[in-house]
Amino acid sequence: MSKEAPLSNAERDFILEALREDVRLDGRNPDQFRPLSVSFGDEYGHVKLQLGKTSLVVRISAEVTKPRDDRPFDGLFQINLELSAMGSPAWENGRSNDLEAYVTHVLDSVVRRSNALDTESLCILKGVSCWSIRADVHVLDYDGNLTDAACVAIMTGLQHFRRPDAVVRDGQVIVYGVEERVPVALNITHKPLSITFNSYNDGKSIILDATRKEEQASEGELVIGINNGGDVCFLSKFSGAPVDAMEMVTKSTVALEKVKEINAQMEKAMQTDLAKRAKQGMADLSRAENDR
Amino acid sequence: MSTPLILLPGDEVPSNHLPSTKNNPLKLGSGVRLLSQPSAKPAASNHVLTATQAGILTTDAKRNTVSLQSFSNRRYIPTTNDLVIAQVHHSSIDYFHCIVTPHTAQALLGQLSFEGATKKTRPMLKGGDLVYARVSSVGVGAGAEVEITCVNPATGKAEPGGLGPLTGGMVFDISTGFSARLIRASSSSADHGDAIDGLVVLAELGKKLESLGGFEIAVGRNGKVWIDCSAAGENAVKSTIAVGRCLQTTDDKNLNTMDQKKLVTRVLREMKLIS
Repeated sequence: MSKEAPLSNAERDFILEALREDVRLDGRNPDQFRPLSVSFGDEYGHVKLQLGKTSLVVRISAEVTKPRDDRPFDGLFQINLELSAMGSPAWENGRSNDLEAYVTHVLDSVVRRSNALDTESLCILKGVSCWSIRADVHVLDYDGNLTDAACVAIMTGLQHFRRPDAVVRDGQVIVYGVEERVPVALNITHKPLSITFNSYNDGKSIILDATRKEEQASEGELVIGINNGGDVCFLSKFSGAPVDAMEMVTKSTVALEKVKEINAQMEKAMQTDLAKRAKQGMADLSRAENDR
Repeated sequence: MSTPLILLPGDEVPSNHLPSTKNNPLKLGSGVRLLSQPSAKPAASNHVLTATQAGILTTDAKRNTVSLQSFSNRRYIPTTNDLVIAQVHHSSIDYFHCIVTPHTAQALLGQLSFEGATKKTRPMLKGGDLVYARVSSVGVGAGAEVEITCVNPATGKAEPGGLGPLTGGMVFDISTGFSARLIRASSSSADHGDAIDGLVVLAELGKKLESLGGFEIAVGRNGKVWIDCSAAGENAVKSTIAVGRCLQTTDDKNLNTMDQKKLVTRVLREMKLIS
């Protein structure tokens, strides 16, 4: 039983009929996201994100490794996503499904291959050592639109993460612990996010942030990866019904608006968290008592 | 009843809480199970009722039933006589194979288990169609098949009324605990008034939507509720969504009576159904 619960005919017909009247099951507008909330864990780069009922945790981690032989100046960056049975009863542990392959591909294209994280800044000593950054995505609950949620969480995690400081002295790499030196932020070149559109009724209704039921009733989807500056870094139409070329252009404007909105919200949440951390850190340092 | 009795899995149901009528056999609902206990004195009553899940003990003296009202969880375990909304998966010669809960074994619904069904007049259900049915047996032991039916075999009628294929409308997912509350609220509204369990959302919706033609509702114990407002004409879709949203929000946020009334007004106004 590794399949998603199928949609009943009544549900499918109703969703389509409702979209014809421009209403959605949860009363949202066609281009409105579900409430997005983000919280941070104790460590840097630990993000918990909740988008409606879809919820996931992203952990960013760093370690020192040897760079690839063909790219001695580049650090490594990889995104790991595994759909475990924790997220939905339709997924099996240790067995990859289509959704996993698809989401991984989109995340890889939007975040990694668009060079959102400057991998050259991860180099410590040419050809000898570099940082390897890893983003692990854990899905806790699934109610549609995994791609966008994961993308927001990874980008927020990368901006929130602080790696230990490392210097080269006499050809020797020295990594300082977090207590010894202030850890450094990663070098983020731009902040791309993916925005998924689902189309219904022969492309007449196109909505944002579909829930699981809406995704199942959808006839096709369009993913746009775009950053704050309006540079489209990813555009894909994997399967399903065709979408009008004009629609793609107008939808990228909508996507740009959404990306700006989400990035601003994430930025705010992150600054609040970092300010809280700075205050707490100072309080810890200035404390006279010690644990004896 | 003075204070609600909360039981945990494995707890014995105290006999002084059971309905005391002697002439009717006691009926067990969900969450309670009859166990026989070895005892030294064979003459003594050696059966005990134990709880199989955590919940509040509820008894109905009139119908002589005892069951556990569980909390808002999502998992449904079929119990005999539960009303469920099942989805047909495929059909074979004798049975429709139905999905009662996703990702579990399918339940069987006889091709002729409908009111007035004969070999010629039986409903032709396709995969993906919905039926409102009663769990007739859950079998014993692992791998036993759950059977559901849309007819009372003793009378040949769809009892309680409304069992059978559901056409049109929309299904919304709710928690199993909330669906149990909805069923209780509707079955006892006649003698207790609406305020049982502090659930007034349906009554409130009924009052407000009456002018638009009202709505039809079927609550399945498997955490599904089917709503149809086809009488509302051009507002059918909007009022269906309004009812679904009110129920889901009440369930998610565990609203009290006052908030439920406010919610209904707010949602109906948002959907532009009332001014």
